[in-house]
Amino acid sequence: MKFDLDEIMIDLESRGSALAERVAAACGDATPIRYVEDARAAALPRASDRDPFGAAKRRMLIMRRRSPFLMACPAGSSKFACCGYLVLTLASNCPMDCSYCFLQEYVADNPAFQLFSNYSDAFDELDRMLYASPARSFRVGTGELADSLAFDSITAISRDLIEFFAARPRLTLEFKSKTAEIDNLLTIDPRGRVMVSWTLSPDAVFRSSEHRTAAPSERIAAARRVLDAGYRVAFHFDPIIAYEAAERDYSTLIDELLDTIPPARISFVSMGGLRMTPSLRAAARRRHPSDPMLCGEDVLAPDGRLRAFTPLRLRLYRALADKFKAAGAEVPAYLCMEPASVHQRVFGTAPARPSVLGEQLARGAEANSQ
Amino acid sequence: MSTNEEILELAKDRRLPETHLKRWLALDDASRDAILETARTLKLRTGQLVVTIEELDEISVREQTTPAEILARDSLRRIIENAGSAPGRARAFVDKLNAVRFPMLRQTSDDLAAAVAALKLPRGVSVVLPKALSSDELAVALKFRTMAELERMLAVLDASRPALGRILDKLGGK
Repeated sequence: MKFDLDEIMIDLESRGSALAERVAAACGDATPIRYVEDARAAALPRASDRDPFGAAKRRMLIMRRRSPFLMACPAGSSKFACCGYLVLTLASNCPMDCSYCFLQEYVADNPAFQLFSNYSDAFDELDRMLYASPARSFRVGTGELADSLAFDSITAISRDLIEFFAARPRLTLEFKSKTAEIDNLLTIDPRGRVMVSWTLSPDAVFRSSEHRTAAPSERIAAARRVLDAGYRVAFHFDPIIAYEAAERDYSTLIDELLDTIPPARISFVSMGGLRMTPSLRAAARRRHPSDPMLCGEDVLAPDGRLRAFTPLRLRLYRALADKFKAAGAEVPAYLCMEPASVHQRVFGTAPARPSVLGEQLARGAEANSQ
Repeated sequence: MSTNEEILELAKDRRLPETHLKRWLALDDASRDAILETARTLKLRTGQLVVTIEELDEISVREQTTPAEILARDSLRRIIENAGSAPGRARAFVDKLNAVRFPMLRQTSDDLAAAVAALKLPRGVSVVLPKALSSDELAVALKFRTMAELERMLAVLDASRPALGRILDKLGGK
Protein backbone atom coordinates (compact mmCIF):
# COMPACT_ATOMS: atom_id res chain seq x y z
CA MET A 1 0.00 0.00 0.00
CA LYS A 2 1.33 3.40 -0.89
CA PHE A 3 0.61 6.50 1.15
CA ASP A 4 1.38 10.04 0.09
CA LEU A 5 3.74 11.97 2.32
CA ASP A 6 4.28 15.71 1.97
CA GLU A 7 7.58 15.62 3.80
CA ILE A 8 9.79 13.58 6.08
CA MET A 9 11.21 15.35 9.11
CA ILE A 10 14.09 13.84 11.05
CA ASP A 11 15.13 15.26 14.38
CA LEU A 12 18.84 15.90 14.74
CA GLU A 13 19.23 13.23 17.39
CA SER A 14 17.78 10.64 15.03
CA ARG A 15 19.96 11.63 12.09
CA GLY A 16 21.99 8.61 11.09
CA SER A 17 19.78 6.18 13.03
CA ALA A 18 19.04 2.88 11.35
CA LEU A 19 15.38 3.84 11.01
CA ALA A 20 16.12 7.24 9.45
CA GLU A 21 18.57 5.64 7.03
CA ARG A 22 16.09 2.98 5.98
CA VAL A 23 13.29 5.49 5.45
CA ALA A 24 15.53 7.88 3.52
CA ALA A 25 16.78 5.06 1.30
CA ALA A 26 13.27 3.73 0.66
CA CYS A 27 11.79 7.12 -0.19
CA GLY A 28 14.66 8.33 -2.37
CA ASP A 29 13.96 11.72 -3.89
CA ALA A 30 10.21 11.20 -3.94
CA THR A 31 9.59 12.99 -0.65
CA PRO A 32 11.55 15.98 0.66
CA ILE A 33 13.53 15.32 3.84
CA ARG A 34 14.07 18.07 6.38
CA TYR A 35 16.11 17.94 9.57
CA VAL A 36 14.53 19.57 12.60
CA GLU A 37 16.02 20.66 15.89
CA ASP A 38 12.85 20.61 17.95
CA ALA A 39 10.87 17.43 17.33
CA ARG A 40 8.12 18.39 19.75
CA ALA A 41 7.46 21.59 17.86
CA ALA A 42 7.51 19.72 14.57
CA ALA A 43 4.81 17.38 15.84
CA LEU A 44 2.37 20.19 16.60
CA PRO A 45 -0.67 20.90 14.43
CA ARG A 46 -0.25 23.79 12.02
CA ALA A 47 -2.96 26.40 12.24
CA SER A 48 -2.38 27.34 8.62
CA ASP A 49 -3.64 23.95 7.46
CA ARG A 50 -7.31 23.77 6.53
CA ASP A 51 -7.47 20.34 8.22
CA PRO A 52 -4.55 20.33 10.68
CA PHE A 53 -5.08 16.73 11.76
CA GLY A 54 -5.41 15.39 8.22
CA ALA A 55 -2.42 17.38 7.00
CA ALA A 56 -0.28 16.13 9.89
CA LYS A 57 -0.85 12.55 8.77
CA ARG A 58 1.19 13.36 5.66
CA ARG A 59 4.17 14.64 7.66
CA MET A 60 6.37 11.80 8.85
CA LEU A 61 8.50 12.72 11.83
CA ILE A 62 11.35 10.46 12.89
CA MET A 63 12.28 11.28 16.46
CA ARG A 64 13.43 9.78 19.73
CA ARG A 65 10.78 8.74 22.23
CA ARG A 66 11.38 10.05 25.73
CA SER A 67 8.50 8.23 27.45
CA PRO A 68 8.33 4.49 28.06
CA PHE A 69 7.35 2.45 25.03
CA LEU A 70 5.36 -0.10 26.98
CA MET A 71 2.08 0.82 28.62
CA ALA A 72 -1.27 -0.61 29.56
CA CYS A 73 -3.87 -0.26 26.81
CA PRO A 74 -5.32 3.27 27.02
CA ALA A 75 -8.81 1.84 26.55
CA GLY A 76 -8.49 0.01 29.86
CA SER A 77 -10.59 1.14 32.81
CA SER A 78 -11.96 -0.33 36.01
CA LYS A 79 -15.42 0.33 34.54
CA PHE A 80 -14.82 -2.21 31.79
CA ALA A 81 -13.93 -5.88 31.55
CA CYS A 82 -10.57 -5.62 29.79
CA CYS A 83 -8.40 -8.04 27.87
CA GLY A 84 -5.05 -7.37 29.52
CA TYR A 85 -3.54 -6.02 26.32
CA LEU A 86 -0.20 -4.25 26.58
CA VAL A 87 0.67 -1.56 24.09
CA LEU A 88 4.09 -0.93 22.62
CA THR A 89 4.08 2.59 21.18
CA LEU A 90 6.55 2.57 18.31
CA ALA A 91 4.64 5.14 16.26
CA SER A 92 1.92 7.71 16.77
CA ASN A 93 -0.85 8.54 14.32
CA CYS A 94 -1.57 6.75 11.13
CA PRO A 95 -1.51 7.50 7.41
CA MET A 96 -4.99 6.09 6.97
CA ASP A 97 -7.97 8.22 7.86
CA CYS A 98 -10.92 6.41 9.40
CA SER A 99 -13.69 8.85 10.15
CA TYR A 100 -14.38 7.30 13.57
CA CYS A 101 -10.74 7.09 14.68
CA PHE A 102 -10.09 8.04 18.31
CA LEU A 103 -6.72 9.48 17.38
CA GLN A 104 -8.56 12.54 16.06
CA GLU A 105 -8.99 13.44 19.71
CA TYR A 106 -6.22 11.44 21.38
CA VAL A 107 -3.29 12.91 19.44
CA ALA A 108 -4.95 16.12 18.28
CA ASP A 109 -2.31 18.20 20.05
CA ASN A 110 0.67 16.44 18.45
CA PRO A 111 -0.71 14.86 15.32
CA ALA A 112 2.37 14.48 13.10
CA PHE A 113 2.93 10.88 12.04
CA GLN A 114 5.73 10.01 14.43
CA LEU A 115 8.09 7.05 14.24
CA PHE A 116 10.49 6.51 17.10
CA SER A 117 14.09 5.97 16.06
CA ASN A 118 15.11 4.48 19.42
CA TYR A 119 12.47 1.77 19.18
CA SER A 120 14.96 -0.94 20.12
CA ASP A 121 14.94 0.54 23.67
CA ALA A 122 11.49 -1.04 23.90
CA PHE A 123 13.14 -4.46 23.90
CA ASP A 124 14.89 -3.66 27.18
CA GLU A 125 11.56 -2.66 28.70
CA LEU A 126 10.02 -5.94 27.58
CA ASP A 127 12.89 -7.97 29.01
CA ARG A 128 12.60 -6.14 32.31
CA MET A 129 8.89 -6.95 32.41
CA LEU A 130 9.56 -10.63 31.75
CA TYR A 131 12.21 -10.69 34.47
CA ALA A 132 9.84 -9.03 36.95
CA SER A 133 6.99 -11.50 36.25
CA PRO A 134 8.64 -14.86 35.66
CA ALA A 135 5.44 -16.90 35.68
CA ARG A 136 3.32 -14.79 33.36
CA SER A 137 2.69 -14.58 29.63
CA PHE A 138 1.89 -11.31 27.91
CA ARG A 139 0.18 -10.20 24.74
CA VAL A 140 1.83 -7.06 23.45
CA GLY A 141 0.62 -5.09 20.46
CA THR A 142 1.91 -2.22 18.36
CA GLY A 143 -1.37 -1.25 16.76
CA GLU A 144 -3.02 1.04 19.26
CA LEU A 145 -1.72 4.51 18.44
CA ALA A 146 -0.79 3.61 14.88
CA ASP A 147 -1.40 0.89 12.34
CA SER A 148 1.25 -1.79 12.94
CA LEU A 149 2.05 -2.36 9.29
CA ALA A 150 1.05 0.74 7.34
CA PHE A 151 4.60 1.87 6.58
CA ASP A 152 6.38 -1.41 7.12
CA SER A 153 7.54 -1.57 3.51
CA ILE A 154 9.80 1.40 4.20
CA THR A 155 10.54 1.07 7.91
CA ALA A 156 10.89 -2.74 8.14
CA ILE A 157 10.42 -2.46 11.91
CA SER A 158 8.41 -5.67 11.82
CA ARG A 159 11.55 -7.71 11.15
CA ASP A 160 13.30 -6.56 14.33
CA LEU A 161 10.14 -7.09 16.34
CA ILE A 162 9.55 -10.59 15.03
CA GLU A 163 13.12 -11.63 15.72
CA PHE A 164 12.86 -10.33 19.27
CA PHE A 165 9.51 -11.91 20.08
CA ALA A 166 10.26 -15.20 18.33
CA ALA A 167 12.98 -15.82 20.90
CA ARG A 168 10.78 -15.18 23.96
CA PRO A 169 8.25 -17.91 24.70
CA ARG A 170 6.25 -15.88 27.23
CA LEU A 171 5.61 -13.00 24.89
CA THR A 172 3.09 -12.86 22.07
CA LEU A 173 3.38 -9.97 19.64
CA GLU A 174 0.23 -8.70 17.97
CA PHE A 175 0.46 -6.63 14.82
CA LYS A 176 -2.89 -4.91 14.29
CA SER A 177 -3.66 -3.53 10.85
CA LYS A 178 -6.14 -2.43 8.22
CA THR A 179 -3.62 -2.88 5.43
CA ALA A 180 -2.42 -5.83 3.37
CA GLU A 181 1.20 -4.82 3.96
CA ILE A 182 2.62 -8.22 4.83
CA ASP A 183 5.62 -8.68 2.52
CA ASN A 184 8.20 -8.37 5.29
CA LEU A 185 6.29 -10.80 7.46
CA LEU A 186 6.40 -13.48 4.81
CA THR A 187 10.20 -13.50 4.82
CA ILE A 188 10.61 -14.44 8.50
CA ASP A 189 9.67 -17.49 10.55
CA PRO A 190 7.77 -16.17 13.59
CA ARG A 191 8.14 -19.49 15.43
CA GLY A 192 4.54 -19.27 16.55
CA ARG A 193 5.11 -16.21 18.69
CA VAL A 194 3.57 -13.57 16.47
CA MET A 195 -0.06 -12.84 15.78
CA VAL A 196 -1.40 -10.59 13.06
CA SER A 197 -4.85 -9.19 13.62
CA TRP A 198 -7.08 -7.24 11.33
CA THR A 199 -9.90 -4.90 12.04
CA LEU A 200 -12.78 -6.01 9.88
CA SER A 201 -15.77 -3.97 8.79
CA PRO A 202 -18.46 -4.58 6.19
CA ASP A 203 -17.93 -3.03 2.76
CA ALA A 204 -20.46 -0.30 3.53
CA VAL A 205 -18.37 0.90 6.48
CA PHE A 206 -15.11 0.52 4.55
CA ARG A 207 -16.40 2.62 1.67
CA SER A 208 -17.95 5.25 3.87
CA SER A 209 -15.49 5.57 6.72
CA GLU A 210 -12.16 3.78 6.30
CA HIS A 211 -10.26 6.00 3.92
CA ARG A 212 -6.98 4.76 2.45
CA THR A 213 -7.28 1.33 4.08
CA ALA A 214 -7.21 -2.01 2.29
CA ALA A 215 -10.61 -3.42 1.37
CA PRO A 216 -11.98 -5.99 3.84
CA SER A 217 -11.55 -8.80 1.31
CA GLU A 218 -7.89 -7.81 0.87
CA ARG A 219 -7.39 -7.90 4.63
CA ILE A 220 -8.91 -11.38 4.82
CA ALA A 221 -6.76 -12.58 1.92
CA ALA A 222 -3.67 -11.19 3.66
CA ALA A 223 -4.68 -13.02 6.84
CA ARG A 224 -4.80 -16.27 4.94
CA ARG A 225 -1.30 -15.69 3.57
CA VAL A 226 0.26 -14.95 6.95
CA LEU A 227 -1.57 -17.88 8.50
CA ASP A 228 0.01 -20.13 5.90
CA ALA A 229 3.37 -18.56 6.71
CA GLY A 230 3.16 -19.62 10.36
CA TYR A 231 1.56 -16.62 12.00
CA ARG A 232 -1.47 -16.69 14.25
CA VAL A 233 -4.39 -14.58 13.15
CA ALA A 234 -7.09 -12.71 15.03
CA PHE A 235 -9.84 -10.30 14.06
CA HIS A 236 -11.28 -7.21 15.62
CA PHE A 237 -14.87 -6.32 14.82
CA ASP A 238 -14.31 -2.94 16.30
CA PRO A 239 -15.93 -0.56 15.89
CA ILE A 240 -19.16 -2.30 15.12
CA ILE A 241 -21.39 0.35 13.62
CA ALA A 242 -25.11 -0.09 14.11
CA TYR A 243 -26.42 1.19 10.80
CA GLU A 244 -29.66 -0.07 9.31
CA ALA A 245 -28.32 -3.11 7.44
CA ALA A 246 -25.56 -3.84 9.96
CA GLU A 247 -26.72 -7.26 11.12
CA ARG A 248 -26.98 -8.59 7.59
CA ASP A 249 -23.69 -7.03 6.47
CA TYR A 250 -21.66 -8.23 9.46
CA SER A 251 -23.09 -11.70 8.92
CA THR A 252 -21.98 -11.63 5.28
CA LEU A 253 -18.55 -10.44 6.37
CA ILE A 254 -18.19 -13.31 8.84
CA ASP A 255 -19.24 -15.75 6.12
CA GLU A 256 -16.49 -14.39 3.90
CA LEU A 257 -13.98 -14.62 6.73
CA LEU A 258 -14.86 -18.20 7.65
CA ASP A 259 -14.80 -19.24 3.99
CA THR A 260 -11.14 -18.19 3.96
CA ILE A 261 -9.94 -18.88 7.50
CA PRO A 262 -11.15 -22.01 9.32
CA PRO A 263 -12.63 -20.97 12.66
CA ALA A 264 -10.34 -23.33 14.54
CA ARG A 265 -7.35 -21.37 13.23
CA ILE A 266 -8.62 -18.02 14.51
CA SER A 267 -6.85 -17.15 17.75
CA PHE A 268 -9.62 -14.85 18.91
CA VAL A 269 -12.12 -12.25 17.85
CA SER A 270 -12.85 -9.06 19.68
CA MET A 271 -15.93 -6.92 19.36
CA GLY A 272 -16.58 -3.35 20.33
CA GLY A 273 -19.39 -1.02 19.42
CA LEU A 274 -18.60 2.42 18.06
CA ARG A 275 -18.01 4.73 21.02
CA MET A 276 -17.02 8.33 20.90
CA THR A 277 -16.68 11.06 23.45
CA PRO A 278 -18.79 14.06 22.46
CA SER A 279 -15.65 16.00 21.58
CA LEU A 280 -14.32 13.18 19.42
CA ARG A 281 -17.66 12.99 17.66
CA ALA A 282 -17.61 16.72 17.06
CA ALA A 283 -14.10 16.48 15.59
CA ALA A 284 -15.05 13.49 13.47
CA ARG A 285 -18.19 15.17 12.16
CA ARG A 286 -16.23 18.31 11.37
CA ARG A 287 -13.64 16.35 9.37
CA HIS A 288 -16.08 13.90 7.78
CA PRO A 289 -19.36 15.79 7.54
CA SER A 290 -20.96 13.52 4.97
CA ASP A 291 -20.20 10.14 6.55
CA PRO A 292 -23.56 8.56 7.47
CA MET A 293 -21.81 6.06 9.76
CA LEU A 294 -21.23 8.92 12.20
CA CYS A 295 -24.96 9.61 12.35
CA GLY A 296 -26.20 6.41 13.93
CA GLU A 297 -28.61 6.06 16.81
CA ASP A 298 -25.99 6.90 19.42
CA VAL A 299 -26.88 8.09 22.90
CA LEU A 300 -24.80 9.31 25.80
CA ALA A 301 -23.86 6.23 27.83
CA PRO A 302 -23.04 6.22 31.56
CA ASP A 303 -19.31 6.28 30.77
CA GLY A 304 -19.68 9.64 29.00
CA ARG A 305 -19.32 8.20 25.50
CA LEU A 306 -21.84 8.17 22.70
CA ARG A 307 -22.78 4.60 21.86
CA ALA A 308 -25.58 2.86 19.97
CA PHE A 309 -28.44 2.54 22.43
CA THR A 310 -28.06 -0.58 24.53
CA PRO A 311 -30.61 -3.07 23.08
CA LEU A 312 -29.42 -2.32 19.55
CA ARG A 313 -25.73 -2.65 20.44
CA LEU A 314 -26.21 -5.84 22.41
CA ARG A 315 -28.36 -7.39 19.70
CA LEU A 316 -25.51 -6.90 17.26
CA TYR A 317 -22.92 -8.36 19.64
CA ARG A 318 -25.09 -11.38 20.19
CA ALA A 319 -25.74 -11.85 16.47
CA LEU A 320 -22.00 -11.87 15.77
CA ALA A 321 -21.20 -14.16 18.70
CA ASP A 322 -23.95 -16.57 17.61
CA LYS A 323 -22.63 -16.54 14.06
CA PHE A 324 -19.19 -17.69 15.22
CA LYS A 325 -20.74 -20.27 17.52
CA ALA A 326 -22.81 -21.62 14.66
CA ALA A 327 -19.63 -22.05 12.62
CA GLY A 328 -18.94 -25.09 14.78
CA ALA A 329 -15.77 -24.04 16.57
CA GLU A 330 -15.35 -22.17 19.78
CA VAL A 331 -13.52 -19.01 18.82
CA PRO A 332 -12.27 -17.19 21.94
CA ALA A 333 -13.99 -13.83 22.03
CA TYR A 334 -14.11 -10.75 24.19
CA LEU A 335 -15.73 -7.33 24.16
CA CYS A 336 -13.68 -4.15 24.21
CA MET A 337 -14.67 -1.27 26.52
CA GLU A 338 -17.86 -2.85 27.78
CA PRO A 339 -18.83 -3.52 31.39
CA ALA A 340 -18.95 -7.02 32.84
CA SER A 341 -22.76 -7.04 32.70
CA VAL A 342 -22.66 -6.74 28.93
CA HIS A 343 -20.18 -9.64 28.67
CA GLN A 344 -22.52 -11.68 30.81
CA ARG A 345 -25.49 -10.89 28.57
CA VAL A 346 -23.65 -11.59 25.32
CA PHE A 347 -21.61 -14.66 26.21
CA GLY A 348 -23.61 -16.00 29.15
CA THR A 349 -20.57 -16.01 31.44
CA ALA A 350 -18.76 -13.43 33.53
CA PRO A 351 -15.55 -12.15 31.97
CA ALA A 352 -12.21 -13.21 33.39
CA ARG A 353 -9.96 -10.67 35.10
CA PRO A 354 -7.82 -8.68 32.64
CA SER A 355 -4.58 -10.40 33.60
CA VAL A 356 -6.20 -13.84 33.29
CA LEU A 357 -7.88 -13.02 29.98
CA GLY A 358 -4.62 -11.57 28.67
CA GLU A 359 -2.83 -14.82 29.43
CA GLN A 360 -5.68 -16.88 28.01
CA LEU A 361 -5.59 -14.95 24.75
CA ALA A 362 -1.82 -15.30 24.50
CA ARG A 363 -1.85 -19.00 25.37
CA GLY A 364 -5.04 -19.80 23.49
CA ALA A 365 -3.43 -18.29 20.48
CA GLU A 366 -0.43 -20.50 21.13
CA ALA A 367 -2.60 -23.60 21.09
CA ASN A 368 -4.32 -22.46 17.92
CA SER A 369 -1.06 -22.14 16.06
CA GLN A 370 -0.08 -25.75 16.66
CA MET B 1 -33.84 41.85 3.61
CA SER B 2 -32.14 38.73 2.20
CA THR B 3 -32.64 35.29 3.71
CA ASN B 4 -29.13 35.34 5.13
CA GLU B 5 -29.79 38.67 6.81
CA GLU B 6 -33.02 37.34 8.26
CA ILE B 7 -31.20 34.27 9.57
CA LEU B 8 -28.50 36.46 11.11
CA GLU B 9 -31.13 38.59 12.79
CA LEU B 10 -32.97 35.58 14.20
CA ALA B 11 -29.70 33.98 15.30
CA LYS B 12 -28.71 37.16 17.09
CA ASP B 13 -32.09 37.37 18.77
CA ARG B 14 -31.88 33.72 19.91
CA ARG B 15 -28.16 33.90 20.72
CA LEU B 16 -27.61 30.88 18.52
CA PRO B 17 -24.09 29.43 18.92
CA GLU B 18 -21.71 30.41 16.14
CA THR B 19 -21.11 26.80 15.06
CA HIS B 20 -24.82 26.23 14.50
CA LEU B 21 -25.24 29.50 12.67
CA LYS B 22 -22.42 28.50 10.33
CA ARG B 23 -24.02 25.11 9.69
CA TRP B 24 -27.33 26.81 8.94
CA LEU B 25 -25.81 29.32 6.56
CA ALA B 26 -23.85 26.58 4.76
CA LEU B 27 -27.05 24.77 3.74
CA ASP B 28 -28.69 24.95 0.33
CA ASP B 29 -31.12 27.85 -0.24
CA ALA B 30 -34.29 25.81 0.17
CA SER B 31 -33.08 24.30 3.45
CA ARG B 32 -32.03 27.66 4.86
CA ASP B 33 -35.48 29.05 4.03
CA ALA B 34 -37.33 26.05 5.42
CA ILE B 35 -35.53 26.18 8.76
CA LEU B 36 -36.12 29.93 8.99
CA GLU B 37 -39.82 29.50 8.31
CA THR B 38 -40.07 26.68 10.87
CA ALA B 39 -38.17 28.65 13.51
CA ARG B 40 -40.44 31.66 13.02
CA THR B 41 -43.72 29.79 12.80
CA LEU B 42 -43.07 27.70 15.89
CA LYS B 43 -41.11 30.42 17.70
CA LEU B 44 -38.37 27.90 18.43
CA ARG B 45 -36.31 28.72 21.49
CA THR B 46 -32.50 28.58 21.36
CA GLY B 47 -32.20 24.98 22.55
CA GLN B 48 -34.94 23.85 20.18
CA LEU B 49 -33.29 25.62 17.27
CA VAL B 50 -29.92 24.02 18.10
CA VAL B 51 -31.49 20.56 18.21
CA THR B 52 -33.38 21.25 14.96
CA ILE B 53 -30.24 22.27 13.08
CA GLU B 54 -28.22 19.35 14.46
CA GLU B 55 -30.81 16.68 13.87
CA LEU B 56 -31.78 17.90 10.41
CA ASP B 57 -28.11 17.83 9.46
CA GLU B 58 -27.63 14.29 10.77
CA ILE B 59 -30.84 12.95 9.23
CA SER B 60 -29.95 14.50 5.88
CA VAL B 61 -26.48 12.89 5.95
CA ARG B 62 -27.86 9.51 6.91
CA GLU B 63 -30.75 9.55 4.44
CA GLN B 64 -28.91 11.38 1.66
CA THR B 65 -31.49 14.12 1.50
CA THR B 66 -31.77 17.80 2.45
CA PRO B 67 -33.26 19.52 5.50
CA ALA B 68 -35.85 21.15 3.22
CA GLU B 69 -37.05 17.75 2.03
CA ILE B 70 -37.20 16.45 5.59
CA LEU B 71 -39.21 19.46 6.74
CA ALA B 72 -41.61 18.93 3.83
CA ARG B 73 -42.65 15.51 5.12
CA ASP B 74 -46.31 15.25 6.10
CA SER B 75 -45.63 14.17 9.66
CA LEU B 76 -43.62 17.34 10.34
CA ARG B 77 -45.69 19.71 8.15
CA ARG B 78 -48.82 18.75 10.02
CA ILE B 79 -47.26 19.91 13.29
CA ILE B 80 -45.81 23.09 11.81
CA GLU B 81 -49.09 24.11 10.14
CA ASN B 82 -51.44 22.91 12.87
CA ALA B 83 -53.54 25.20 14.98
CA GLY B 84 -52.61 25.47 18.63
CA SER B 85 -50.09 27.30 20.70
CA ALA B 86 -46.63 27.84 19.24
CA PRO B 87 -44.82 26.45 22.33
CA GLY B 88 -46.92 23.28 22.24
CA ARG B 89 -46.33 22.78 18.54
CA ALA B 90 -42.62 23.52 19.00
CA ARG B 91 -42.35 20.78 21.61
CA ALA B 92 -44.29 18.36 19.40
CA PHE B 93 -42.11 19.28 16.41
CA VAL B 94 -38.84 18.66 18.27
CA ASP B 95 -40.19 15.38 19.60
CA LYS B 96 -41.24 14.25 16.12
CA LEU B 97 -37.92 15.30 14.62
CA ASN B 98 -36.15 13.30 17.34
CA ALA B 99 -38.24 10.27 16.38
CA VAL B 100 -37.08 10.64 12.78
CA ARG B 101 -33.47 11.01 13.93
CA PHE B 102 -33.69 7.95 16.24
CA PRO B 103 -36.36 5.68 14.73
CA MET B 104 -35.17 2.38 16.20
CA LEU B 105 -34.59 3.93 19.62
CA ARG B 106 -38.07 5.42 19.60
CA GLN B 107 -39.66 2.12 18.59
CA THR B 108 -37.75 0.14 21.21
CA SER B 109 -38.46 2.74 23.90
CA ASP B 110 -42.17 2.67 23.07
CA ASP B 111 -42.23 -1.15 23.19
CA LEU B 112 -40.48 -1.19 26.55
CA ALA B 113 -42.70 1.54 27.97
CA ALA B 114 -45.72 -0.47 26.86
CA ALA B 115 -44.31 -3.58 28.55
CA VAL B 116 -43.76 -1.62 31.77
CA ALA B 117 -47.30 -0.21 31.62
CA ALA B 118 -48.66 -3.73 31.12
CA LEU B 119 -47.22 -4.71 34.52
CA LYS B 120 -50.05 -2.62 36.02
CA LEU B 121 -48.00 -1.90 39.09
CA PRO B 122 -49.76 -0.25 42.02
CA ARG B 123 -49.20 3.37 42.95
CA GLY B 124 -45.88 3.80 44.72
CA VAL B 125 -44.08 1.20 42.60
CA SER B 126 -42.34 2.35 39.47
CA VAL B 127 -40.06 0.63 37.01
CA VAL B 128 -37.69 3.14 35.47
CA LEU B 129 -36.05 2.51 32.12
CA PRO B 130 -32.55 3.92 31.58
CA LYS B 131 -32.55 7.33 29.95
CA ALA B 132 -32.39 6.93 26.16
CA LEU B 133 -31.83 3.20 26.80
CA SER B 134 -28.21 4.06 27.40
CA SER B 135 -27.51 1.15 29.72
CA ASP B 136 -28.83 -2.33 30.49
CA GLU B 137 -29.88 -1.37 33.99
CA LEU B 138 -33.48 -1.30 35.14
CA ALA B 139 -34.42 0.63 38.29
CA VAL B 140 -37.36 -0.11 40.55
CA ALA B 141 -38.49 2.63 42.92
CA LEU B 142 -40.76 2.02 45.88
CA LYS B 143 -42.49 4.73 47.87
CA PHE B 144 -44.23 3.54 51.01
CA ARG B 145 -45.13 4.67 54.51
CA THR B 146 -45.86 1.42 56.30
CA MET B 147 -44.37 -2.06 56.38
CA ALA B 148 -47.68 -3.43 55.18
CA GLU B 149 -47.45 -1.24 52.05
CA LEU B 150 -43.90 -2.43 51.46
CA GLU B 151 -44.90 -6.07 51.78
CA ARG B 152 -47.75 -5.59 49.30
CA MET B 153 -45.40 -3.93 46.84
CA LEU B 154 -42.80 -6.67 47.18
CA ALA B 155 -45.49 -9.28 46.61
CA VAL B 156 -46.62 -7.52 43.44
CA LEU B 157 -43.05 -7.30 42.21
CA ASP B 158 -42.49 -10.95 42.99
CA ALA B 159 -45.55 -11.85 40.94
CA SER B 160 -44.18 -9.71 38.11
CA ARG B 161 -40.86 -11.56 37.89
CA PRO B 162 -41.49 -13.25 34.51
CA ALA B 163 -42.63 -10.00 32.90
CA LEU B 164 -39.72 -8.08 34.45
CA GLY B 165 -37.39 -10.74 33.12
CA ARG B 166 -38.77 -10.20 29.62
CA ILE B 167 -38.26 -6.46 29.95
CA LEU B 168 -34.67 -7.03 31.05
CA ASP B 169 -34.12 -9.37 28.13
CA LYS B 170 -35.46 -6.80 25.70
CA LEU B 171 -33.24 -4.17 27.27
CA GLY B 172 -30.36 -6.57 26.69
CA GLY B 173 -31.19 -6.84 23.01
CA LYS B 174 -33.01 -10.18 23.01
